[in-house]
Amino acid sequence: MAEIIRYGAYVPRYRAPLGEIQSFFGRPGRPRSKALATPALDEDTLTMAFEASQTALAGGQSPGTLIAVSQSPPFRLRKLASTLARTLGLDGVTPIDLAGNGASLLDGFAIAQAIAAAGGEPTLVVAADHLVSYEERVCDTLSAGASCAYLIGSSGGCATLGASARAAREVYDVWVLGNEPEARYRLEVLFETYGAVAAEALAALEAATERTTGDYAAVCPSQPHPQTLRGLGRVGVAPGQLERTSFVGDIGNLGAASVGVSLALGLDGASSGDALLALGYGGGEAIAQEVTVTGTPTGAGTAEAMADSEAISLSTYYRWTRGRQAEPH
Amino acid sequence: MTVSAIEFSRLGPPKLRLYAMRCTSCEALSPWWEHHHCYKCGGGELVEQELAGTGEISNYTVVYYPPRDFLGQEPYVVGHITMDEGVMMPAPVVGVAPEDVSVGTRVKATLRRMKLGHEGDIYYSQKFVVDPERAPAG
Amino acid sequence: MRIGVLGVGKTPHKIQHNKSLRDLAVESSRLALDDAGLSPSDIQAMYVGNVGSVGFNYENSTGLMVAHHVGVVPAAAVRVEAACGTGAWALHLGCVAILSGLYDTVMVLGCEKMNDLATAEGTSIIAQAADSKEEYFSGLTFPSGTALTARRYMQTYGLTEEDLAHTSVKNHHYGARNPYAHLRFECTVEEVMRSAKVADPLKLYEVCPMTDASSAIVLCREEILRDQPDKPQVYVTASQMATGTWYAASDSLDDAHALFARPAERAYAMAGISADDVDVAEIYNSFAIQEPLGIEGLGFAEQGKGWEGAADGSTWIDGKVGINLSGGLLCKGHPLGATGATQAVDIIEQLRGTAPPDMQRKDAETGISACRGGPGSVGAIHIYQRLEG
Repeated sequence: MAEIIRYGAYVPRYRAPLGEIQSFFGRPGRPRSKALATPALDEDTLTMAFEASQTALAGGQSPGTLIAVSQSPPFRLRKLASTLARTLGLDGVTPIDLAGNGASLLDGFAIAQAIAAAGGEPTLVVAADHLVSYEERVCDTLSAGASCAYLIGSSGGCATLGASARAAREVYDVWVLGNEPEARYRLEVLFETYGAVAAEALAALEAATERTTGDYAAVCPSQPHPQTLRGLGRVGVAPGQLERTSFVGDIGNLGAASVGVSLALGLDGASSGDALLALGYGGGEAIAQEVTVTGTPTGAGTAEAMADSEAISLSTYYRWTRGRQAEPH
Repeated sequence: MTVSAIEFSRLGPPKLRLYAMRCTSCEALSPWWEHHHCYKCGGGELVEQELAGTGEISNYTVVYYPPRDFLGQEPYVVGHITMDEGVMMPAPVVGVAPEDVSVGTRVKATLRRMKLGHEGDIYYSQKFVVDPERAPAG
Repeated sequence: MRIGVLGVGKTPHKIQHNKSLRDLAVESSRLALDDAGLSPSDIQAMYVGNVGSVGFNYENSTGLMVAHHVGVVPAAAVRVEAACGTGAWALHLGCVAILSGLYDTVMVLGCEKMNDLATAEGTSIIAQAADSKEEYFSGLTFPSGTALTARRYMQTYGLTEEDLAHTSVKNHHYGARNPYAHLRFECTVEEVMRSAKVADPLKLYEVCPMTDASSAIVLCREEILRDQPDKPQVYVTASQMATGTWYAASDSLDDAHALFARPAERAYAMAGISADDVDVAEIYNSFAIQEPLGIEGLGFAEQGKGWEGAADGSTWIDGKVGINLSGGLLCKGHPLGATGATQAVDIIEQLRGTAPPDMQRKDAETGISACRGGPGSVGAIHIYQRLEG
């Protein structure tokens, strides 16, 4: 049995005005998010991963493995996990990078569970993303940034990782053309596929656990777009289960960190005995992960950190994000 | 301020962690860049000593006209941080309005980007944020 | 030690988009040669102070380039660089060259052409005169590094920002009267306080501008000047240099004080005078706080009291000692490599009695220039005396 020993989430405090961005590009309709959580000029996936990891490691336990998940520059050729390990002083840790999408954090959980089952040292699973879109695409992708980190081991935790189930389709809801530096989103395909594979994964998890979707105290989903949350209603998720774990309509799409930040919100407000459902989605695949709270979580203060925000102007947003799509490494 | 990617690889590792240099002769701590000479006793052997990352602002200024590599970050606070181990480090203090900074404010280290090098290399280093757990009362 | 001053020359100190680095150097050298009554072929060696031509102007080997354009070839020529103390170091080497007996007549020249680049680019180049690889990685600049010193000074000695503002008021009083100065306007304490913030607590009127200029001095053996009694009998009677801290973080107020105090003590002994004998002083003040620090280092005031003279008048033209009657770097500007040479020219003009009327200290006989460089890395002291008969 693997347990979440400690966890952390980091959401940058700056909020870009999506409504103004939308007006600037003449896009009709209301903005799908009130604002976008935007890393400062001196932040990126590495620095945000560092912030969340520090919180997750505050208990003093050292991991034997560090799994990093991201789909954002600057780390492509270089390993985010290796550099992050150096920043954290984790000499000797085994650094592993997972290709990042919205569900990959839960892939990391699966590996961490296997390591724990084999009696290995704890694993630090970290997801960090700073999505940046060119021009008006931001209105669709709601690109924002954040990070989360989970220290997972075989004992001493506040929540156990239970069964998981997954389902996938080969779709093009998000892809990159060969001559483009950033992903394209096809929203209607995203909405349709998200709902469909989520339903399949939840059904599979229900079969494995004999616990229905409605039984969970909270559902903690990847949330690339508010429409995907509404779609969850059609697969048995009640609005109350998303009450404290949904944020995309407030701060945007956190990419690979989305499900982890949502889970942090769920854990922050949970009581011993609560069952949480983490639902990752990315690239046509959904992963449903059961999490049972066994103690009192240390609390990452995620909701409070989200609330401690500062608005930035349209020009600041573009000054801070300009060129970030194409950064090297 | 501009260095090559090769220089960055040489300068980079120290920036990812916060440590001081300890003189093996007099035990005095110096900032991380003192590799060759102890300013206190003249000793010639200095070794790394990791710092806990907490300290307090002993002096500070607010930069309104930054050099090229820091354009866009102004106004920013640069402080002399007296680390709990006693060594003083100059570093930016971020996440706080300049008017809310004062001498004596408790801070802790965090990792931030400093600048983008001309060869595309990203420079990271320690900046400091107000330490919420040890902030002065009130 | 007596080194004769045969001639001096300086260009206006200002933004000069119409002139190149070599134009400025040639202009000042010709003025100095005319003043000395010499031709370029009379110069046996040339010491060219320049800090940043590689960055500012994309040209190196400045000493050789200037030698060619001034026309001193095949005389010896070399570029000298020691951060903001560069011009003073060139002067020191000129003195050493004469004292060594190797040369009879040399030219010392300082030049800098800073305004071909935008301010942010220039600031980055200037930052390279400090620890640009390591300490300045933290976002420090020269203004902000000095601002930290200012804040420490103010905290230690209980100054207010208004107290410090008097230094700028005094400098601007004289800068407004200096036809060679970059900033020629007077200001009040209130106007200093209202000027834009550069790096707390330093404000715009407490920071020198980036300036294009060149200054030159022709030096000779004592006997050569002595044999020309119709020429002003001004001699360099002491030249002392020192190094200090390379990192602003390590630079305490005691270090800042010692940077001038140590070489000044040696220089006074070398010239056989004391601080009480000095009539006029040019003290490096690219930032206002450096003037009181320099006043204290040179022994004109106790530590912590160097700022008072600007407020009570004792460092004005008719005070105990006239300090920065040229307007200082705050008004002349700080053409890095030229500054030390310009300070020398300004003092020499005071001793010759040829300074502009409203800047001329009556009967000035003894002067001192104090130049510094780097975060606290170079201290350069020169003493000049008018020695008739």
